[in-house]
Amino acid sequence: MNAIAKEASGQTAGKFNRHAMLGWVLHNVVWIWLIALVAIFGTFNDFFLTVFNLQNVMVQATVLGMLGLAVALPLLVAEIDLSIPANAGFSAAVGALAYSDLGLPWFLAMLVGLAVGTLIGFFNGICITRLKMVSLIETLSMMIILQGALLALTQGKTLTNLSDGYVWIGQATIGGWPIMPVVFLAALVVIGVMLQRTVLGRSIYAVGGNPVASNSAGIRVERVKVITYTISGFLAALAGFLLASWQMAITSNQGSSYLLYAIAAPIIGGVSVFGGRGNVRGVLGGVLLLTVIQVGLAIINVPSFYVGMIGGVMIFIAVAIDAFRVRYFG
Amino acid sequence: MTIHERRDLAATDAILQVEDVTKTYGAVQALRGVTLSIRRGAIHGLLGENGAGKSTLVGIISGQRTPSSGRITMDGRVLDHVDVKSMEEAGVFLVTQEPMIIDNMTAAENLMLGIWPARRGFVDWKALRADAARMLAGSGIDAGALAGRLDAVARRKLNILRAMFSGGKVIILDEPTAALTVADRKLLFDFMRRLKSEGVTFIFISHYNDEILEICDAVSVLRDGNLAGGSDDVAAMSSEQLTELVLGRGLKLFQRQRRDHAGKAPAVALRELRGQHLALPALDIAPGEIVGFTGLPGAGAKELARAIFGLYPARGRITLNGTERDLPGSPRAAFDAGIAYLSDDRRRDGAVGQMSIGQNIAMSSLPARMRMGFIDRAAEAAVVARYFGAMDVKAPGPEYAVDTLSGGNQQKVCLGRVLATDPRLLIVDEPTRGIDVGVKQDVLRIIDELSSRGVSVIIVSTDTDELVRAVDRVCVFENGAIKETLTGDNITVERLRASVQA
Repeated sequence: MNAIAKEASGQTAGKFNRHAMLGWVLHNVVWIWLIALVAIFGTFNDFFLTVFNLQNVMVQATVLGMLGLAVALPLLVAEIDLSIPANAGFSAAVGALAYSDLGLPWFLAMLVGLAVGTLIGFFNGICITRLKMVSLIETLSMMIILQGALLALTQGKTLTNLSDGYVWIGQATIGGWPIMPVVFLAALVVIGVMLQRTVLGRSIYAVGGNPVASNSAGIRVERVKVITYTISGFLAALAGFLLASWQMAITSNQGSSYLLYAIAAPIIGGVSVFGGRGNVRGVLGGVLLLTVIQVGLAIINVPSFYVGMIGGVMIFIAVAIDAFRVRYFG
Repeated sequence: MTIHERRDLAATDAILQVEDVTKTYGAVQALRGVTLSIRRGAIHGLLGENGAGKSTLVGIISGQRTPSSGRITMDGRVLDHVDVKSMEEAGVFLVTQEPMIIDNMTAAENLMLGIWPARRGFVDWKALRADAARMLAGSGIDAGALAGRLDAVARRKLNILRAMFSGGKVIILDEPTAALTVADRKLLFDFMRRLKSEGVTFIFISHYNDEILEICDAVSVLRDGNLAGGSDDVAAMSSEQLTELVLGRGLKLFQRQRRDHAGKAPAVALRELRGQHLALPALDIAPGEIVGFTGLPGAGAKELARAIFGLYPARGRITLNGTERDLPGSPRAAFDAGIAYLSDDRRRDGAVGQMSIGQNIAMSSLPARMRMGFIDRAAEAAVVARYFGAMDVKAPGPEYAVDTLSGGNQQKVCLGRVLATDPRLLIVDEPTRGIDVGVKQDVLRIIDELSSRGVSVIIVSTDTDELVRAVDRVCVFENGAIKETLTGDNITVERLRASVQA
């Protein structure tokens, strides 16, 4: 054993400094990439580095961030949930209709929306654990169901009959600063504390790392997965509420455009698709990176035909660097 | 005893000679000048603790690593350049622990993987089947069977055959008996003897003295990168001599002072236990008693142990500390009832490799120590410090990932995890399989110590030597029931083997 330890340390001792530095760079590559892009966009366009644009980025990042957090949780237990953006759109529409068609007070109506989203997450969890459905396909079909249901609910129209109270959070500012991002920061802190400091959080990492060993170690694997999906459903519904409140409207395909970005953000931020690895700091980094790319490309007058392609290449580079990091530095 | 260093290297019967080979990683010498020669047509055992240099030496012989200095001679020809391709061309093949087999191909296709007979770019299936059938004849493997359906021993045989088919004259087997049952091991050994009679030379790596003594003609022992000793005639060696060479000190093999628990009030009482292939009317275990469960695979020893812990479907009643209840239905319920279980399959079922040593140690006892769902970090740190120290885990600190540990130390972490739950009944399943002899004594000692504090222990094991050294009573299983119970001086290797195989 001693010899093995010596062997390992001996191997790295020679080029320790260079290796350690490269490791540090790769571990923080999301943040370095982020700073670099901010600098690049800033030199191309003076407007990019203004306070107004900073606020814009924060608001844009809020909805994507909530969805990214919701996607990250199932990834941590080595599952996936593709239905999260669809859940956000559908549950928000249910909440909005509860206000406009059923006449509930806006606050109660919003709670109905949150409850619906949470229940959808819970239902997904039950299907995946008790019925042993494969999460990729189960949530894919749930996504299609919810997108269809949203279209049916709205009859293809855009819902704009939202109460002032409902849209307040998306519009309010304090001293010129929007308050919506505060919800995202609060969610980051709560989920972060949950993952790091609670038995549930520790169990989530354990289940994602090795479900069989976790079960033998006395962790109720299925229950942990159901709880994870339920929390994730709640976060999705909250994201849906924020999106509707911010846009003051619910379209018949609300949320759908977020699907790929919401999945890409946590993965770019270091959440492993194989489970058990990742943290909220990484999710924040991934979300900010994607948002800066989107906003930046829009601002520096890249012809709109090229925005999608350039954005995709930037994401590709981030993911490739991350793959390199995992390969050589674990 | 002949020490290899003094052997005349010009000996004509040597197929492979390693002369003064060293290997340095940075400032560390993994091999410090090893010289040995492998006799043609022999099975040559290679023993040593984890980290003694076995893997490095085998890596060099098979061409996967380059020696820092030294000379390798194969068939009288000095190899000036050593890599996998040149060693394979010379006829040296390494068969690793994890058989490299593609599950959804047939045995024949696996055998010919990468060396498919081809005709103008198309695989010549007829020739492939004919060649494969010829090679597989007498091995008991069906050429058309899907490799995924083959059992462990057949998969290992397939790898050995593949090495032979590729022109292997010296085949290195890295712990080929790991995870094999006693019966499978015998099949593998018979197979090796047959190939040996056809002129194949084997280098055989094992942790077990009895395997070396049973199958090998010659043996070399490595310790701290040096050749500690060995013999060209294994028959001249005893198990104690081998152990002493491996450890380099007069290691005292652990032997429990057996206790007689007859007439004591039981701490654990099992009643009317029934499950698939499992039927147990009654079993009592006294406080502080260590009971061994043994038998052929599928006979019920392992199944019963897992049933008590809620991992194998069964019904029945269990009385623990005077409270009677149904068998726990899940590991969580079992831990809550004071039952702990340590699996035999550490990688799959033991530790979460990517988490830290400390997080693994605390894993099973965290729920009992939480406050409103939050981890009680002071209590966690205390548990981790206690069991990290008590288990003597060889790591710089508990914050290192379990993945970075050797098998024996992973086992200590898992043992620490279950002990941290303060069990009344501890069940350990093959607790020392695949770990080296030094760590094995530590593990048995820890279990022994625990029993002296009143904890009842079940050791499930197919290692008869381990049972003789560690338990007060042995239950031999057959057809899901206890066939025979041995106690006191009746627990001997011979009687146990006779009872199990009968």
